[in-house]
Amino acid sequence: MKITLVKKILADGSPCKKCGDVLEKLESSGQIAQIDTILTADERDPESDGMVLAKKLDVDRAPFFVVEKDGAAPLVYTVYMKFVKEVLNQKTEEKDELKEIMENNDDLDFL
Amino acid sequence: MNDTINLVDLDSNLQAASPQEILAHALAEHDNIAISFSGAEDVVLVDMASRIKPGVQVFCLDTGRLHAATYEFIDKVRQHYEVDLQILFPDATAVQQLVNEKGLFSFYQDTHKECCAIRKVGPLRKKLLTLDAWITGQRKDQSPGTRANIPVVQHDRAFSRPEEVLVKYNPLVNWTSAQVWDYIRSNNVPYNKLHDQGFISIGCEPCTRPTGPGQHEREGRWWWEEETKKECGLHR
Ligand code: SF4
Repeated sequence: MKITLVKKILADGSPCKKCGDVLEKLESSGQIAQIDTILTADERDPESDGMVLAKKLDVDRAPFFVVEKDGAAPLVYTVYMKFVKEVLNQKTEEKDELKEIMENNDDLDFL
Repeated sequence: MNDTINLVDLDSNLQAASPQEILAHALAEHDNIAISFSGAEDVVLVDMASRIKPGVQVFCLDTGRLHAATYEFIDKVRQHYEVDLQILFPDATAVQQLVNEKGLFSFYQDTHKECCAIRKVGPLRKKLLTLDAWITGQRKDQSPGTRANIPVVQHDRAFSRPEEVLVKYNPLVNWTSAQVWDYIRSNNVPYNKLHDQGFISIGCEPCTRPTGPGQHEREGRWWWEEETKKECGLHR
């Protein structure tokens, strides 16, 4: 299994805060060791590795994780809690999962 | 990977299609599919879908905080259309805990995200975990800030079952509010009577207010909060 994390640099050159939060969580929990590659999606550069991968996999937000297993199509995770629960088998609280989904999916404001 | 490519191609094929064509495609493609109906003007989806596939699944999130008029309207829709209309409720323990800790109006201090997560996202996710596809009434013109790039069809990665694909269709995405209302009037579609009182976008009672001339419809929702910032999106 190969896990790639794509983090973002905003159009004004500043790092994405949410990506920073996710990286910090991965580091403090030691889960960073399970991430094989970290790519950067630089909004100023459509050719940056992360932007190319996002386009290829039709992902419209960051950070995101790509999980590749032999012989299977890559799986994309845009919700950190979903990723740690389903891929890293970490126990999560329903409350935290829902909060993350709500906070990071602005388009849910139609509900 | 193939699924992703297929959906991207399908999206470009369906961009010029009518909402009815998109709905017909979605309903033909998936048996286990449901329409999310909010009690506002996306009733046009219910009207269109019930003509294409009578008995289609429709669900509605009852947060416990809706306007009385919205409850009346939902019931009217249930009686008017040949659909399987389900009303979904939030987890009672989670609501109880929130209200015990923070009272009934915590969203005015803490923003709407926590309350919406419990009252809307929780029951929505529970429902979506049982489906292969869902249909929303989202339109680009509802919120230029957060919806400018909404596709007709997309992978819903936030709510999919582990290692499975959940497809989300947005048949009204390219329609304007005027087109929706033209359809409602020409087809005698029932609508929430709050619309006649100046409400454009209708959500929960404490979080929705009528909008005045020149105001955008989003100004009627969560008006005490700053405009949503789109930090997480990838702007390509
Ligand atoms: S719209 Fe308001 S009352 Fe309704 S769930 Fe969201 S914050 Fe709670």
